[in-house]
This record gives sequence, structure tokens and C-alpha cells, in this order.
Amino acid sequence: MKLENVDGFTFNFIDAVNAFVFDEKDKSKATFHGQPMKAVDILVELADAYLFIEIKNFEDAQAYDERKFSDDDDSKKKHDNFKWLKNYLKYKYRDSYLFRHAEEMVDKPIHYICLLNFDNALNSIMEKKLKQELPIGKASRRWRRELVASCQVVNLEKWNRNFPKWPVLYIAGGAV
Amino acid sequence: MLEKIKFEKFTAFEKMEVEFSPGINIFVGENGTGKTHILKAAYAACDIAKSKGGFAEKINNVFYPSGKQIGRLVKRSSVSSNGSLEIIRKLDHGKKIALRLSLSNHTTKPEKAKISGSPKAWTESSMEAAYIPVKDMMANAPGFRSLYKEREIHFEEIYVDILDKAFLPALKGPTDGQRKKLLELLQNAMDGKVVIKKEEFFLRNKQGELEFTLLAEGLRKLGLLWVLIQNGTLLKGSALFWDEPETNLNPKLMKAIVSILLELQHIGVQIFLSTHDYVILKEFDLQMQADDRIFFHSLFRNEESGEIEKATTSNYLDISPNAIDDTFGSFVDREIERSMGRLGK
Repeated sequence: MKLENVDGFTFNFIDAVNAFVFDEKDKSKATFHGQPMKAVDILVELADAYLFIEIKNFEDAQAYDERKFSDDDDSKKKHDNFKWLKNYLKYKYRDSYLFRHAEEMVDKPIHYICLLNFDNALNSIMEKKLKQELPIGKASRRWRRELVASCQVVNLEKWNRNFPKWPVLYIAGGAV
Repeated sequence: MLEKIKFEKFTAFEKMEVEFSPGINIFVGENGTGKTHILKAAYAACDIAKSKGGFAEKINNVFYPSGKQIGRLVKRSSVSSNGSLEIIRKLDHGKKIALRLSLSNHTTKPEKAKISGSPKAWTESSMEAAYIPVKDMMANAPGFRSLYKEREIHFEEIYVDILDKAFLPALKGPTDGQRKKLLELLQNAMDGKVVIKKEEFFLRNKQGELEFTLLAEGLRKLGLLWVLIQNGTLLKGSALFWDEPETNLNPKLMKAIVSILLELQHIGVQIFLSTHDYVILKEFDLQMQADDRIFFHSLFRNEESGEIEKATTSNYLDISPNAIDDTFGSFVDREIERSMGRLGK
């Protein structure tokens, strides 16, 4: 199942039952989102799981690296940028989950994959924070089910290496 | 300024040529890809002006092959073979001179090795250099230098060289602005300054004087850098070689170290580092400005031939292969495998 030019990326989910742009803005489409809620970019239904996919391709990836700063103001800015991105990714997932809950479409484990153009180390830092804050698994003893089964933050190279059945191609210039 | 180094059948290298940045050169690569060998060979060439025996002897003392048989530095082969090492240097007025060492695996003594190029011109215009080895020597300074001179002890010469340089007295006259700034940066990072008393180093601050044996090893390295800047070893036109600066250093101190190295580069010190550390690599990436001249040299083994090759780039993201980021990458792979099983495969 192919999705063309989503923020400059072309996806092909070979084994998917369904795959569509989740934040669809075209009213004529059956998958029109239309609610004042945040929404991940892509939703994929597999035989026994769902994938929520969010893409962020930054021109200036360094603006999110809080370890670099020239002075205190810059440090705060970078820290704020990183925090902003983490929250952005977190609330996108949660709102999307709520939407799917209302659709009664949360019947399979959900894996959240963020495709970011950071290096592996910076992606790992983001992933750790997200896992804590989403949070993944049955985080509370009171929970009967999990909100999200797993969370991965990967770059394009890592995506294609780990998910050969879902090849992704980046078309330069198409990014946000 | 060192411009280029060429190896042929020397130590780990079958054939290797590296062009240096006049600013900062960072060598990355897995263990056994020859990072330290490049640093040592280039350092030996800088330091011959000060050593009596010439390039071959300096190389032999710096590498310390078994039994000090210099021929053992030729790359191992089942047949007799010849190896060579050549370094090209650009003098202040732009003239380029070379220094070349050729030897066979049967060469036993340094004086039998052949030196060619312009050894005379090379030694006449000396180049100050300091090599900071992985192991700290500052705390073991008392007596070590005299022991090294009097006895045959199994230490590469870099260990005694660095102490000799650390014990040089301070430069005469007032400290110029740039050096003052560097010294202050270091003083802030290590919270004090270094004093030497009877071959013993102390860190002096408000609390008093703390001998280096009681000081964290990472701080001793900062202390060493402070001394080398304060006594004028690291001035314009000199070279600093630092093997794995990250060893024993808290990653938080790396920010200060990298800003000091960038500053040293600005005053005209040519810098050579080897590293396995993500933090140091990333710090350079993050702190570097457009006018900084940084080369990342990635050393790796060609999977087919098994020989060591290198790829050089001035862009952090283009370092390839990047053994350090690959390590994080392997965590990513394992994490996905663990939490998503066979999905997508």
C-alpha cells in the first residue's frame, strides 16, 4: 500500500491492511480528519498491530540539540526547542489515540514511530524521553491496557534497515 | 604546519595517505585501525628537532617495538618487505619540505634506516609539539624522568616527553590576552590553577593545594593542558596531539575542553585527536563555526581486502563510516527488535 509525498517521503507498506494520511485535510476523502485535535501524519493497520507514524524533517536539526549553546539565552532556546518537539510528538500521539478510541479502532497494539532526521544518539535521547512521558506499556498499576505498545525514534537509514517491508524514499525538496 | 602523511607497509597500514587540516584533525575508527599510529608518527616528526638521534630513532622510541628492533615497524608479511613513512610540512613562508623514513623488516637499528627528503631543513626550523597520551603521567612525575634516563624501562618516549614539556618554566613576560583567556577557561573547568613544587604537581584553589595523586585523573589532564599553555609549549605554529581526550573525563567537562581546543586552533595551534567518544565528536559539531577548519578522518577496514582505509570530511553528518554513531545505531536496532519483534521485516 503506497503513500506518495507525505512531507516529502514516499512510503510503501507491503503487508498493510490499510494505510492512510491520518491528518487528512481533504473533506471529500473518507479519511478526512476535521477535528481540532493534533494528528500524527500516517496511520497504518497491519494484521495484528497499528502503526502511528510522525515525520519531522528539520532543515536545522541542531536547533533542537540542547547540548549546543553559545550563551545562556541560546541554551534556554535550544532546551525549549527540544522540549517543544518532545511535547509536540507526545501530544500528537495522545490526541491521535483519543480520535482512534472514539472510532473504536484501538483494538490492536499500537506502535509509535517518529521519523526524524537526527543522528542515532540524539534520536535515542528523544526516544527515552518520549517513552517516559507517553508513557509506553502498562505504566500504571491501575491500567487494564496500554496506551502505546512501543515507541521508536529513527532516522531514514535506520527505518529502512529495520523495516524492509515498509521501504521509505525521501524526495529532496519536498520536506516541511 | 603538517600538511600530509603517507604510510607504505608501515605498522598497520598497507598504503595510507592523510591530508591534514591546518586546524583540527579528529581521527575516529574502531580499535586497531591505526589512529594512534598516525598521531605518534606525526608527533615524532615534529619532535626530531629536539632529539639527538634523528627521525628513525625518534620513531623507534615513540613506537617502542619489541627489543627496539625498528624493522618490526614494517607491516607484517610472510616475505621480506620494505616500509616507509613520509611527512610533508609547510613552513611559515610557504615552502614545503618532506621527511621520509624507509626501512626493511630486517633493519635492526634506527641508524640503518634510510632518512631522505630535507631532514636538515626540517631540524633547523623546529616545530614545537606536545603529545598527551591516554595514560596520565602527571601524578607519577616525581623521579620518573630520571628513572627513564638512567634505566631501560619499557615506556614509549611520549610519556617522558610530555613530562619534560610540563616541567618547562613559564614564559618570560606578561601572558597575552588569548592565552590568558584560555587559562581562565581551564581554571574555571578545574576550579584552580597548577603549581609545581619539587617535581610534584598541585592544584591550587581557595581550599588549598591538592597533590595530583589525590586529584581525579580527568582533572589532571586539564591541569596538564593548563601547564602547556602557561609555559608556552602550545603557541602559534605548534602542534598538539591528544590520544583519546575523553579517557577519565566526565562528559560534562568535554564542552570546556572542546571550546579550549577550538580556541587553541584560533591562535594557530594545529591539533590532532583520536577519539571513541560521541560527546567529543558532537561537541565539535555543535561548537564549530564557519571559519573553523576541522577535518574528521574516519579509519576503517575494507571488508574485502582487510586493509585500513580512510574517509575525510569536514561535515560531522558526513562522517562515514562512523564507528561511534554506529554503536548508538546498534542500540536502535536491538531496541526495535525487542519491542516490535518481526513487524516490518
